[in-house]
Formats: sequence, C-alpha cells, structure tokens
Amino acid sequence: MSTPPALLEVQGLTIEYLTDAAAVRAVDAVSFSVNAGEFVGIVGESGCGKSTMLFGIAQLLSPPGEVTAGSVTFRGRDMVRLSAGELRHMRWRDFSVVMQSAMNALNPMKSIGAQFRDALLAHERMPADRVKERSAEVLTLVGIDPVHLHSYPHQLSGGMRQRAMIAMALLFTPQLVVMDEPTSALDVVAQRSLMLKIRELQERLGFAVIFVTHDMHVVNRYSDRVLVMYAGQVVETAPTEQLFGQPRHPYSRGLIEAFPSVTGPRRELVGIPGSPPDLAEPIKGCRFRERCPVAFAACAEIEPALIDVEGAQVRCLLYSDAGVVGERERSGAPSDG
Amino acid sequence: MAEQHHSAADPAAGQPLLRAESLTRHFRVGGTFSSETLHAVDAVDLTVNEREIVALVGESGSGKSTIARLLAGIHKPTAGEIYYRGRPLRGLRSRKDMLWYRGEVGMVFQDPFSAFNPVHRISHGIMRNLKLHRPELSAAERRAEAERVSDRVGLSPRLLSRFPHEMSGGERQRIGFAQALALRPKLILADEPVSMLDVSIRAGILNLMVKLRETEDVSLLYITHDLASARYVADRILVMYAGKIAESGPTESVLADPQHPYTRLLLSAVADPLDADPEFAADTGEPPRVINPGEGCRFRWRCPFAIDACHTVTPQPRRIGDSDVACHVAGEPATHAAGAAGSL
Repeated sequence: MSTPPALLEVQGLTIEYLTDAAAVRAVDAVSFSVNAGEFVGIVGESGCGKSTMLFGIAQLLSPPGEVTAGSVTFRGRDMVRLSAGELRHMRWRDFSVVMQSAMNALNPMKSIGAQFRDALLAHERMPADRVKERSAEVLTLVGIDPVHLHSYPHQLSGGMRQRAMIAMALLFTPQLVVMDEPTSALDVVAQRSLMLKIRELQERLGFAVIFVTHDMHVVNRYSDRVLVMYAGQVVETAPTEQLFGQPRHPYSRGLIEAFPSVTGPRRELVGIPGSPPDLAEPIKGCRFRERCPVAFAACAEIEPALIDVEGAQVRCLLYSDAGVVGERERSGAPSDG
Repeated sequence: MAEQHHSAADPAAGQPLLRAESLTRHFRVGGTFSSETLHAVDAVDLTVNEREIVALVGESGSGKSTIARLLAGIHKPTAGEIYYRGRPLRGLRSRKDMLWYRGEVGMVFQDPFSAFNPVHRISHGIMRNLKLHRPELSAAERRAEAERVSDRVGLSPRLLSRFPHEMSGGERQRIGFAQALALRPKLILADEPVSMLDVSIRAGILNLMVKLRETEDVSLLYITHDLASARYVADRILVMYAGKIAESGPTESVLADPQHPYTRLLLSAVADPLDADPEFAADTGEPPRVINPGEGCRFRWRCPFAIDACHTVTPQPRRIGDSDVACHVAGEPATHAAGAAGSL
C-alpha cells in the first residue's frame, strides 16, 4: 500500500469490565483508523460502548475496565503497551482529551491562567512570559478575551468554560483531540458556535478529531466520517454524506429517523423501540435483531460480520448472501415501510 | 388540529383552560444587603386552551421552568395572576382547593431517574395519588385505575409491581405520565420530559403526548429547549428569552416565518449550516442578562438589528401576520432586506 499510515489505527480493540460474576465485553473487536486532520464522529445510544472505547483509546480506563485484546497505534506506537510515564509525556502534547462534563473539569480553586500554566509546565520548561503569551493565544483562538486568564471557572458561563477546556486541549497543538460529548450540556446557539469554532481551528491547525455524541444532527453537520456503534460493535461506518443519504444498517436508519425535523416535511417518528441487549449474557446471531424492523430467520442464527458495501462497511445480513434469502422471506410478508 | 370541543354544559366554555396575566416572578440574589434581583419571569401573558398542546421554548435561563413551577403552584408569583377555568389561583387557599387544582393540573418532570423513590414499587406513587385525590375509590378500584393509566401510557400493568431501578428511562417517563393521568387532569405540565432520554425512545414519549390529547382529552404545556420536538407535538409555540415571551403564534407560522430576531437565531442554530442566517453567525450563545435588567429589550445585546429605542423602551407584543412579536424592528422591511443581503 502506498497510502501514508493513518494517524491513529485501532485494531481489534476489545475492552472488558471484569466483574466477579462475568466479564462484560463493552467494546468488541473494534477496528478503524483516523487520518491526519480528519473529523470522525462516533454515534450510538447510551450504553453502546462509545465512551468506553474513547477511554480505551486515550488509555484512561480504570478498573474493572481493561483492554483485553487489540491495539491502538498512534503515530506508530501502540498506546496499550506504553508505560504510565510515556503516556503522561504524550498527553496534552500529542493528543488531548475533552470530557463530557468538561465544563466541570476545571479546578474551581484556580484561575484559568493558573490551570493553563500547570499543564504547560508539566511538559516543558518555559519562561513565565512565554507561558502567559501562549495561554492568551489559545484563549483568543477559542474566542475568549485573554482577561479571563484571571477569572475563576465560576465567573464564566457554561459555554465559556467549555471553550476554555478546548483551549487547554490546544496548548501544545496536538495532532489528535478526542472529545466525549463536549457540547451536550450547552444550548443550541452556544453549541453551534462551539462546533463552528472547533471546525475552524481544526482546518487552521490541522489536528484530527474523534468526536463521540448521541446527536445525529451534530454528526451530520460537522464530521467527515461516521462510525455507528451498537452493543459494543461498529455496525456501520461511511463518509458522513453517504451515511445520511443512504443509511444501510437498520440501526443507523432508526437513529436518523428518531429525530424530528425543524424545517423538512412533518412525518411520524418511530424511534427504535426496546433497549440494547445485556452484554453480560451470551448473544447468538445479530445483536440488533430484537429491535430490528427488517429482521429475518437467519438473523437469530448467524452473527453478521462487518462487510464492505459500496464504500461503506455494514454489519448486517441483508448485505450478505443470507440477505438474499431474507429478502425472499420478507417479500411474502406485508411491507412495513 | 387545534379545534376545540366545548360542551354547552360547561360553565367555563369559551374561555381558555388556563390563562396567565402579566405573570412575574423575581428572585432576590446575593447577600442580605444585596439589591440584585433576578427577573426570572417578567410580565408574561399566556393561555392554554382545552385539548391544546402549547410548547414553551427557550434556552437555559430563559425562565421556562420557573413558569412551569408558577403554574403548578410551587412558586408564588411576585406579580400577575394565573386563572384556571376563570378562577384566580390566588383565591385557592384551602387544602381542598389546592388538592382540586393539583388534580386538574398534573406535572411530569425532566429527570425520570430521580423522580421516583427507589424503595417503593412503581405503583406506589400512583396509588398514593389516588388515595389522596380520589378517596371515594375502593382498593380494588384504585388497582383497576392504576392498570388503566399504565395501559394508556403503553406499559403493561405487570410493570406496576416493579421497582424504579428495574425500568428503563423511557418506561419511567411513561410512569411519570401515568402518575399524572391517574388524577384525570385537564392539563399536564411537561418540563423537558424527553431531554434526558436516549434519542431512540424520545419519539415514543413525543407520540404518547400527542396520543394522550386524543384519548384523555388533556391539554399539554410542553416545556423544551428543542424547537424540532416542539414542532412535532405543538399547535402553538411560545418562544421565551430572558424571562419574556419574544414571539408566539401557530407552530408552522412561527417556524416558517420567524419574526423576532431571537427566533431567527434559534432556528438558524438548528437548521442546515449552509443556509444559516449570516446575520447571526458570530453569536456565541452567551446567557441573557436577567439581574436588574431595567428597561429596554433584553435581546438587544445580541441583536444585530437593535436600534436606539431597543435600549430604552421594553417592546410590547404586536401582531405581525399570525404571530405576536415583542420587537421594535420586526416586520419592518429593512430587517428582512438586511437579513437577506447578509449585511447591515
């Protein structure tokens, strides 16, 4: 292959919560790659393993969660096997993480400037004026007046705190920023403004973003590629336009159709009845079949593999040889639209 | 969709089910000697008709939840009055009157994970409500009624003997509606009932609200920050900003032809970025100023169209098309021309 190696290469990543009763496989053999400067969105319901996977990638899992198989290769090094010291050296500098409740992740006892200084000095010996200069720089980047370096977190609005966290993540201009629902606590206007800012900075500075969310609107508007996760597995991945234009997996279709539109035609919403399966129990066949509107007999027997379908990857028997049988089976029954 | 059914026998026929008149609620903030007052709700007029679904839409801090609490009788208004079937709420003083009102107007809360006592079975809340509000029912009738309401919200009556932790968020929120329905209310105040639920089950709850209007003849005040879901369920939309109603009108006309600059901003934030309103591209969504706001339009600090009058005169609602709009500049040809050209 002549293509340059991806910035991040996740191979067969498996994460289990090892409890006394059983091992719960929250992330099951997930593989994907992120190229430099790419914006990858990861979507799914709560409990589908998206946050666990993000923690696994950033090596932030705490017991009983553990990576039990697979690798996470970031710029040629397998992060799973790095020591805590090596990881500490890479965090903030090479990749940074913005957490879900990032606006509460700031230390309430320290000013914004002091927290930026701590992060900077943890990695580099830097004269005080350079620290100040860089802190002011990144704060300006996210659209906050540098006077707020003297502010304490409680003096800032939720949107500003969230921006300050993103500024902190950019202190060293990392190549990868991992974000776990950074905008879910914000109002729509603040959310749009923050997302536009992230995209603008990304285009300017060239870092890649892995963005976890449950909000299909956000993914549709801002990501280059989408990974749809269900019950610990990737069930579909495709370029954003393709996924929303032609969702192939019934679960992706369900997620997209679960959102009412504010401008388009009014149509009946169906949602996805039921809830994800209990991962502590062994599952036979397709994990989505009990909630799937188009499931057929083989879905209870055969576990679908992730297969290539015209530029997308889909984990559904409809697109395998068994799908032909299923098609025939269902054509006898009335169509459920 | 919004047609009303008044029976001739109803003495309250012809008037709205619920009406609030210049409803105001202020909170003192800061220390004992502080003169700072937070104007959570200021001079709000609103009505809910029989069998009508009204959406109250606003961002956090707009005062929409305070309105829900005022209407539920949890807070007392600083000024203004709420009339239910023409009776002022201030006049409801006895325990009997309050029981009557709380039976007529039910409430469903945002967080289905903390709204239930974990040590009691799901049926407990429904049964206790029935005992309190409908003491004429026998134990068997109460049980039958609990089964009826759980069936109405699409849950098997078997679930009534479960504990809250055994149920999903969507099921718990349905129980929240069942609990309100048991009192045979005429109005349900639903404060962000879907915002904490997974996207896959939100649709079910939204559909349930629309269905309850048909099967139970209730009106709903749906309080939300989400314009799209408001459009999905509501006949009428009220858009709140900083404690005031910025714009109100029939759902489709408010969304198809928004008049107030704030409504336009909200819509542009959820609509496709390609045809977003360029006028508002730079807005960062800073929270409104509601502490000692003084005279003038509260949106003026963020408004690209603000004129001198906006700083000195509080705009009163005016009829523009089908909507009532509290804005000095809305409806002027200049606003629209400028908006289309993307410059001012």
